[in-house]
Amino acid sequence: MSFAEQPLSPQAVSTDEMARNSSSGREAQGLETFSYDDGIVRMFMVATIFWGLIATVAGLLVGLLLVLPNLWQGMDPKYSSLLSFSRLRPLHTNAAIFAFAGNAIFAAVYYSTQRLCKCRMWSDTLSRLHFWGWQFIIVAAAVTLPLGITQSKEYAELEWPIDLAIAVVWLVFFGGNFLMTLWNRRERHMYVALWFYIATIVTVTVLHVFNNLVVPISWGKSYSVYAGVQDALMQWWYGHNAVAFFLTTPFLGLMYYFLPKAAERPVFSYKLSIIHFWSLVFIYIWAGPHHLHYTALPEWASTFGMLFSVMLWMPSWGGMINGLLTLRGAWNKVTSDPILKFFVVGITFYGMSTFEGPLLSVKSVNALSHYTDWTIAHVHAGALGWNGFMTFGMIYWMLPRLFQTKLWSKSMAEWHFWLGTIGILLYIIPIYMAGITQGLMWRAMDDLGRLQYPDFVETVQSIVPYWWTRLIGGSLYIVGVVMLAFNAFMTWTTRPAKYEVPVYSAPRLTKGYHDQPIGKSKLQGVPVIDAAVALDKVAAMDWHRRWERLPIRFTILTTLAVIIASLFEAVPMFLIRSNVPTISTVKPYTPLELAGRDIYVSEGCYNCHSQMIRPMVAETQRYGEYSKAGEFIYDRPFQWGSRRIGPDLAREGGKQSSFWHWTHFEDPYKTSPGSVMPSYKHLLTERLNLKEIPKRVEAARFLGAEYEFELSEVEGIAQRQAEAIAADIIAQGGPVTFEGELIKDSTAIALIAYLQRVGKDLFAPATPAAAPAEATAVTPVSGAPAADLDGNSGESGNSDEKKE
Amino acid sequence: MNTSNTKEVSLGHSYDGIQEYDNPLPGWWKWLFWGTIAFSPLYLMYYHNGTPGRSIADQYTEGVNENTRKQYAEIGDLQGDEATMVKYLKEPKWVGVGQAIFKANCVSCHGADGGGNVGPNLCDESFKHIKTLPDIVKVINEGVAGGAMPAWGNRFSHKNDAILVSIYVASLRGSSPATAKAPDGSPIPAWPKD
Repeated sequence: MSFAEQPLSPQAVSTDEMARNSSSGREAQGLETFSYDDGIVRMFMVATIFWGLIATVAGLLVGLLLVLPNLWQGMDPKYSSLLSFSRLRPLHTNAAIFAFAGNAIFAAVYYSTQRLCKCRMWSDTLSRLHFWGWQFIIVAAAVTLPLGITQSKEYAELEWPIDLAIAVVWLVFFGGNFLMTLWNRRERHMYVALWFYIATIVTVTVLHVFNNLVVPISWGKSYSVYAGVQDALMQWWYGHNAVAFFLTTPFLGLMYYFLPKAAERPVFSYKLSIIHFWSLVFIYIWAGPHHLHYTALPEWASTFGMLFSVMLWMPSWGGMINGLLTLRGAWNKVTSDPILKFFVVGITFYGMSTFEGPLLSVKSVNALSHYTDWTIAHVHAGALGWNGFMTFGMIYWMLPRLFQTKLWSKSMAEWHFWLGTIGILLYIIPIYMAGITQGLMWRAMDDLGRLQYPDFVETVQSIVPYWWTRLIGGSLYIVGVVMLAFNAFMTWTTRPAKYEVPVYSAPRLTKGYHDQPIGKSKLQGVPVIDAAVALDKVAAMDWHRRWERLPIRFTILTTLAVIIASLFEAVPMFLIRSNVPTISTVKPYTPLELAGRDIYVSEGCYNCHSQMIRPMVAETQRYGEYSKAGEFIYDRPFQWGSRRIGPDLAREGGKQSSFWHWTHFEDPYKTSPGSVMPSYKHLLTERLNLKEIPKRVEAARFLGAEYEFELSEVEGIAQRQAEAIAADIIAQGGPVTFEGELIKDSTAIALIAYLQRVGKDLFAPATPAAAPAEATAVTPVSGAPAADLDGNSGESGNSDEKKE
Repeated sequence: MNTSNTKEVSLGHSYDGIQEYDNPLPGWWKWLFWGTIAFSPLYLMYYHNGTPGRSIADQYTEGVNENTRKQYAEIGDLQGDEATMVKYLKEPKWVGVGQAIFKANCVSCHGADGGGNVGPNLCDESFKHIKTLPDIVKVINEGVAGGAMPAWGNRFSHKNDAILVSIYVASLRGSSPATAKAPDGSPIPAWPKD
């Protein structure tokens, strides 16, 4: 296609329509004139490019920190702690999803909705509030995440004040504006792109609200109302469907508008659009538990997650087929047009990712892939290939139209395409290899039934070369994005002094529209039973045609489709007690441990360490007895993690001496040569604020933790436990002071208190005074010598504090 | 718009110039979709009908038992007494098993070759809490010095693990590690020969 092409004039279309309408004699009068708000599209497009650069560069930085963990060595720990992998990784994911892809979605929605509805956005003010509100949220994320203000739920890290802002901006400014535009449209039927936008707006609202229900204790800290297993279920119901309804459905909408536009070809199959839309929306929402295979999540939920993921395969591919087959007859254009190239490769990656998704959701495959880089490769195939390339294709298509000039350089766009494609491949292929390599090493056993690679660091070191290669791929991709930014800028410089604002006209929709009568079934008169004729009529989809002109009904049906499926999984999980069997020895955290846990959350430890041992022989040999649902009832939020860059910590309590932890925070290399963990020295110098602990305890108590002490005693209890741990460290050979400060007052002591507690209660004595425990609630499967357990009370200070 | 393909029927829809064909669902797509739907209840019925041995927990227990047989069928349950330990100290195969356990669990404090790090050097002649071979097993299982040496009793998948790793630790005595921490505690008599 030619880049010089002027915007298609809907004038011609409108007159066609008019002619059709007047011939049917229903909508002859009432021509209205209107223009489109392209200014808002320009704003979102520029924001997309800007955040695309930030998100990818942030990605490069976190990738670099994995291979050069001591990159910030020379910097004051006070500042380098803000830039650690564990703080920046959420920044990268949030920037890629909500800033880059988010702005791209909005650009697509604002451009296409107006044209598909023959209607300007309902309110220019809401459009601007949406734009600036969203950018403000992104900036707020970029500030709070490095500061460690986080809920620690993946892709839902932002704390509650920002969450409230998101709810308002998304639902009121964006959703309200969009739905009102639909209401005021001048096109009778809604095109498939709009269905996907509706599903996006409705579902993201539901997911966002229910996953972020929290009890705040300050502007920057809150506790999830769900605990442990239930929190995990809610989070991955959200997390999986954020992928579905933020990165899939709106991009399918984008594809359905921009691909036929760019290819100038009709969409392959209307029927396929209908079937794959509804099946996708209904089935997707069930699939979340596949992120929790082999965890403490009840097995039935995990099975549902897997089966619905498998059933999701074809509905996902429906979109790919409709995209690729729309290009039939236009393949010659693909060779000469970078826009179509971006779309073809983007859709192909969509097809690949949505095949891989069901594959990874099969339990036995997931057993290998979970916690490894395989997942990282999978999401990057989707994000860089599908979301990135669809966005780039759209931007190159819009640039000449929005800036009303020629694209500055088509050949640079070509270069962007090729560098981007090679970049993706160089990124994902080594990371697939890394994931499979490490997964196999974790489970490898020797002839004697022992772990072949018992040293975790060895399995990390074996994949470092892949991490380096990945950086090359990522860099190429970034070079492509820089080219896009430059090309867009140069195009902008050749814009006209004043943008033309074409005025269009179309008749207002009138009431009393009659649907076209359902056509005769081919089976009419054929000797078959009546039911077959009826079925044939249903299959003709005329009923759906009717829904397409009823936006309220359509929105309600979409909402029902996602809510019913959600309730099927969530309600039993919350109501049936046997899903989380209680363990009598599992007790609430002590005040100091609670404070330490919040540090664990804030530092982002979960980005590299899981706390969930799966029932697999290789795993329990490496980490200890597998995790039980009842162990997590006081965990708000849950900290199961999704990637083991470092070892699992679910049984860390009592595994190392406190002095070991102290040394390890100061310099992980000292205790674990070859480790890729950076120093957390700032924890040794930061002072713990005891005065904040009562608020944490109060919230925990409010959420159901039973404490036998008064809030006024909390500070003293925490103080005494800190002193006991500091005394242990000193006795074990540690220092009394560190950089001039007593170690007992440091935040590290609280974190150590927490780590020394994690996973211990399962084997704790049944009653506080009991001597060696016979009566643990859950007996280790393989008959670990429970009787050998030493009472040890008072030695580490933990169990004593609990009893006070 | 180009609608040159005469076999395809355009529906006459036009949205901002975008038209749609009335093509049927591709057959392979439809049947694969039905296939995945049909597969689901079968899977559900197989794995969730309550038959023992099919749940994840059951399969795990079976795996552990098999693994235990693989590891220890030959020697059965060991007793951590002196005679047993002296006997196995002479069998390189079982000292090797002890070494594997040591590598998995002990190196971050005692160093890769037992030379000591945060924890004490295990290669010299001085010990703090150990006088006899069975003392090593006791220290490993129960811990000492207020958690400086944590209790490992619950962490091993089998009782033999603590005994075999003790044997390996005993075998380290007198070796020369790459970096040796200064001796701690007091010298003790040599291990009995038999």
